[in-house]
Parts: sequence; C-alpha cells; structure tokens
Amino acid sequence: MLLEAYASAKQDEIHTDVLLQARQACYKARDAFYSCLEKHSDKKPTEIGSVGLLYPTECKPSREDYVKNCRVSWVKHFDRQYCKTKRTQRLLDDKETRRGV
Amino acid sequence: MPISRFIFFSAKRRFAHASNLLPRFGSSKRIQSCGYTKSAKNNYYKKPTGHPVVNVETQASRSSGAYIIPPILLGFGGLLAFLHYNDERRAVKIGKDSYTGSDTAAAPIIGGPFTLVNSENQIVNEQDFLGNWVLLYFGYTSSPDIGPDQVRIMAKAIDTLESKENLKVLPVFVTIDPQRDTPAQLRAYLKEFDPRIVGLGGPVSAVRQMAQEYRVYFKKVEEEGDDYLVESSHSMYLIDPKMKVVRCFGVEYNAEQLSKEILKELKKHQVNA
Repeated sequence: MLLEAYASAKQDEIHTDVLLQARQACYKARDAFYSCLEKHSDKKPTEIGSVGLLYPTECKPSREDYVKNCRVSWVKHFDRQYCKTKRTQRLLDDKETRRGV
Repeated sequence: MPISRFIFFSAKRRFAHASNLLPRFGSSKRIQSCGYTKSAKNNYYKKPTGHPVVNVETQASRSSGAYIIPPILLGFGGLLAFLHYNDERRAVKIGKDSYTGSDTAAAPIIGGPFTLVNSENQIVNEQDFLGNWVLLYFGYTSSPDIGPDQVRIMAKAIDTLESKENLKVLPVFVTIDPQRDTPAQLRAYLKEFDPRIVGLGGPVSAVRQMAQEYRVYFKKVEEEGDDYLVESSHSMYLIDPKMKVVRCFGVEYNAEQLSKEILKELKKHQVNA
C-alpha cells in the first residue's frame, strides 16, 4: 500500500542542480561574487540583489553568473547569510566610533 | 444564676470545640476540661455569691489560655517532626552509589517505530535496524550548505570508526523533503558521499510520523512554487542496537569529535551490557 501510493508520484526525475558538481559550481560563483563585492566595497552600490543586498555595477556580471549557477532559494539563503555576517562585522569593527561606551 | 449557666455552657462548648479541632490530644485534656465542667456544674448548684462567680470566671479565663497555647505548641512540634521525618525518608544517603538503573530516564524518550521506503524502492521499518548501531540524520538533498556538510561529516566519522576502530555504525539519511526527494534522487545524492549511507523517504505522512517520534522540527521556508528550503534542526541521532536513542549531536561537531564521541558511547554501552 505504501509503495503504490509512493510510486504514483513522479519517480524518474533527479534534480541534478543539487548534486555535487552543481553545488561546487554554485559555491564557486558565489565566492567569486562576494569577493567582487569586497574588492569594490568602496564603490557606491547601485544594483539591488535579493533580500536587500546591494552591490555596485562592477559586479553585475559575476552576479549574473552566480544567479545562473544556483537555485533562487539558495541565492536568497547565501545573500541573507552574507548580510548578517557583514552586519556583525560592522558592529564589531565600529568600536572606536561609538560614543560613551 | 444565669451568669453561671452561661459560663457552664460556654465551657462545655469550648470543650467540645477543642475535642473536635485537636483529636490527637490524649485523654489528658479531656480530663482537664471535664474537671472544669464539673466544677462549673458544682458552682451551678451553689448560691451565686461574688466568690463563686469570680472563681468560675478565673477558671474560665485560665481554661481559654490553657486551651490555646499548648495545642498550638504541640501542633507546631508535630509539624516539625513530620517534616524532619519526611526529609530523612526522601534524602539519598551519602555514600550510597549513584542512581543506578535509571539512566534511561536521563533524557526524554524519543524514537519509535517507522515504515519508510529506501533508495532501492524497498519498504523498510525499524525492525530492520535492530542489532546495529545507527547514526541517523534528518536532512534533504536541496540543502544549500549545512546538509551536504553534515552528510560529509557523517560519512567521514563512519569511515574513521570503521577503519581505525573496526566498529560498524550504520549511517541513515531520512529526508524531510519527501516530495522532492524521490528514491532515485536520494540514491544519486548519497552515492557521492558514501555508498554505505542508507537513504529513506516515503509518503509525507510516514515521514512526518517518524519526525514527530524523534522530535525533529522541519518546516518549508522561502517557498516559490517548487523551489523552497526546509528549515530543520540539523542534528544527528545515535541509536543503539535496541533502537533506543542514546545521544543527539548538533552541527557543532566536526568529523573527529563525532567519531570520538560515538566511540565513547559504544564503549560505555559495552561496559553496561
């Protein structure tokens, strides 16, 4: 009973975009994009990515590469994580400029 | 005359009252109060001169004082004695060895029977795992980073244990995303990590039931049609050959720590068995 109910769903398609090679490609594109962001961090960010991540136009090609190689939900996940680490870094580095503490 | 009668009745009432409230009192009190009522009765027959009235009055005031204070003291003493006795009874004596026979109650009992489909499309239930140590992980193939990391750590730890200590622990991956993780998908995904990992999936109801038994939280987030992430606790469960959950490992363990901890648990189990 279990098997028939399960077999009725589509069984043959495999999502290859989460297998090892696809994952590696995605990580590589992601790292390239973020390093581009670091490199051009002094430039004014004008483009908007997902979940509020801003990036300068110089990084547009790497952004496109990144989005192409990874799933949309993964892009959002990594962007959110990146914003969070940036924010905590900013909080930690901001020690000198805080008043009164 | 009416005064003495009133006092006599009040004394009698007080006696009855006292006997109701303080049953533990021995006969001593009753004798005393009997003595009081008797004297009151005697006074009743006497002519009510100034003296007897005064006598009865003083007797009445003394009886009220005597009625209240000793019972309270005795009651308090009784309460203290009871508490002391209770403490003695409940305390674990110093020197007695630690809580034996109750290490099963050290953690909530999780786990239970399940029936799922493995990556070869065969039906599997928990009976098939009896007699093996099992390292169970609830994950899904579409996890961006944590899932693959955890599976890799699991595979490495299993490998270390088998090659260095010659201990066989069976790694099991249960998908919490059964709608997208078909048996073929599981097979393709897990093959890249380690051929020994058993992938389990099945209909959503079966997976949900197993997740409930193992207290695993999972939820679809970021949903955009067919593309979503599944939030979960990403922890691994170590299960002994009797299908009892021994330990839970979170994401903070890397492969060496994991293999070390599993080795510790196995050694401990061998000592107990």
